[in-house]
Amino acid sequence: MSEQIELETGGTVWKLLVAEGDQVKEGQELFIMEVMKMEVPYEAPIDGVVKDLSIAEGDVLKEGDYAMEIG
Amino acid sequence: MTWDEKIEQIRARREAAVRQGGPDAVARQHAKGRLTVRERIDRVIDPGSFDEIGRGAGDAEVDENGELIDFTPANFVLGFAKIDGRRVVVGGEDFTMMGGSPTTAGLRKSVYAETVALQHRVPLVRLHEGSGGSVGAPKRPTPPAPVFDPPRFRTVAQTLASLPVASAALGAVAGLPAARLVSSHFSVMSKSTAQILIAGPAVVERAMGEKLTKEELGGAEVHARNGTVDNATADEDGALAEIRRFLTYMPNNVWELAPTLPTDDPVDRQEDALASIVPGDRRRAFDMRRVVRMVFDRDSFFEMGRGYGRSQITGLARLNGQTVGVWANDGRHLAGAMTANGAQKARRFMELCETFHLPIVALVDEPGFMIGSQSEQEATIRHGAAAVLTAVSTTVPWASVVVRRSFGVAQAAHYGPDGLVLAWPSAESGPLPVEGGVAVAYRRQIEAADDPEAMRRELEETLAKKQSPFPRAEAFAIHELIDPRETRPMLCRWIERVQPLLPQLLGQSAFTLRP
Repeated sequence: MSEQIELETGGTVWKLLVAEGDQVKEGQELFIMEVMKMEVPYEAPIDGVVKDLSIAEGDVLKEGDYAMEIG
Repeated sequence: MTWDEKIEQIRARREAAVRQGGPDAVARQHAKGRLTVRERIDRVIDPGSFDEIGRGAGDAEVDENGELIDFTPANFVLGFAKIDGRRVVVGGEDFTMMGGSPTTAGLRKSVYAETVALQHRVPLVRLHEGSGGSVGAPKRPTPPAPVFDPPRFRTVAQTLASLPVASAALGAVAGLPAARLVSSHFSVMSKSTAQILIAGPAVVERAMGEKLTKEELGGAEVHARNGTVDNATADEDGALAEIRRFLTYMPNNVWELAPTLPTDDPVDRQEDALASIVPGDRRRAFDMRRVVRMVFDRDSFFEMGRGYGRSQITGLARLNGQTVGVWANDGRHLAGAMTANGAQKARRFMELCETFHLPIVALVDEPGFMIGSQSEQEATIRHGAAAVLTAVSTTVPWASVVVRRSFGVAQAAHYGPDGLVLAWPSAESGPLPVEGGVAVAYRRQIEAADDPEAMRRELEETLAKKQSPFPRAEAFAIHELIDPRETRPMLCRWIERVQPLLPQLLGQSAFTLRP
C-alpha cells in the first residue's frame, strides 16, 4: 500500500522534514508549506518509507502539485 | 363490445415505455458505462416504491384502422417514489431517445415534475442526462406555446423556495437540463460519466474556434472547482448515494421541520484533543475538519462544496440528532481568507439554512477578505458584502464559536442576529490581523530598528496579546469563554433551547437560495 501526497493548496515549501528513504509513522509531519503567512503542515497518511521525493525547501508550488509517495 | 382491444393498446404502450429507446440504444448506453434513467431511478429510491406518472405519454404511430404500429415514449421519466420511507418526486431525461433532447411530451413531463412536487410539498430529485432544444424540426410540429403561458422557469424558482431539490448530473447535461441542475439546493456530478455544458464541443468550435473535448469543456475538473455543482463523486452510484444522504437532513418542505434522528452519541461527550488542536504558534494552521468531527454527532457531517471556495467549509451535520448547518474556516487554504468563491459558497449555504429553518453553527477562524490583485479582479468585496448582508438578514438561530481568528468586515458574516457567541482561549479578534496591520502602522519603527525582522515579530506578539479573548469576555462582548472540550455539550444545550423557536419560522422565507 502506498499513498501519493499532493498539495491541497499552492504556496512555498517552508520546511522539508524528511529525506528520501526515511521511515515515517502515520501522523508524522513530512513538510510545512507557507501559504498567506500561515504554516500548513502535511502529515504522513500511513506508516511507510518516503519515496520519489519531488519537492525542496523554497519551491513555489501550486494546488495539485505532487510532493512525494509514502509506501 | 368490450374494451379489450383498447386495453391491449394501453398494455402495449406501457411495455414500449419500459423498453425506452430499444435494446440497441440501451446497450449503447451501457457500453459507455452509463445507466439508463430507469436504472438510476431504481437505484436512488426505496426498492419497489416507484409510482410512475405519464407512462402513456409519447408519439404513437397508428394505421388507418387505428391499430398501433409503433410507440415512442416521451423521453422524460417521472413519478412518485420513497427514499428512506419518505415520499419524493423523482424524474430524469431518457438519453436513449434523441439524446435526452426533449420531445413535446418529454418537456411537459419535466415541467410537471416541478409542478407535482409543489402541489404535494415533497422533495424533488432530478437525475439529469440530456440537452436542451434542437434546431431540427420535430417529427410532428406543434404550435409554439401561447404568450400567456406561465414562464417555464417559474416552477423552478418556486421549488427552491418551497421544498428540497436535489439534482445529479450523470451523463452529458446541456442547456435546459443544465440550468435545472444548478437550480437545486444540492447538486452532484459523477466524475466518470458526467459533463455539464452550456453548449457542446461542436457548437463551441464553430462559434469560438476553441477545440476542446466535452470533458475539457465541462468535466468535474472544471465544475466541481468553480461551484457549478456542490459535490463530485467517483461514479453514478456515489452521486445517487449523496442525494439520499442530503435528503436525510432535510424537512419535506418549508412548512415542516427537519426530522430528528435517533443518536447514541452522548450530548456531554468531551474530546480531549480539542484542548490542544489549535497550535500555540499563531502562524501554524490546523485541521478544522477534525474539530467538526469531534464536536458534532459522530459521522454526521455531510460536506457540500468542498471543491471550491475552499477556505470556507460548509455542510450539514447533527447535534443530538437535530439537523444544523455547519460553516467553518479552513486555515490550510489561503489562511482561511474569504475569496469571491468562498463568499458565494457561504451565501448559498446561509440561504439553504434560512429556507429550511436550519440553525447555523459557525466555527470561526476568519482572517478577513482575501487581498491582492486577483482578489480585487474577482470583485471579492461585493460577493463578500453579499455574504455579510445575508448573515445579518437571517432569522434562524445561530451559534458562533470563535476558534481562532475573527477579523475585518468578513468576520461579520460568521455571526447571525441574536446568536450565541462562544470563544475558545485561542480566539483573537479585531479590525485586522496583526501580521498585516503591524507592518503598515509601525513601518517607520520597524525600518529604524537594528533588526527590523525581530522588531516586527516583537510588535506582533505584543499586539496579539491585546487581541486576547479575556477582555472581550470581561466586557460581556461574548457570551462565554469556554474550554474547547465544552463545545459539544454547550452546543447540544443550545440546540435544545432554540428548537422550540423553530416552528415560528415555518413557511416560505423572505429570501431563499439562488444559484
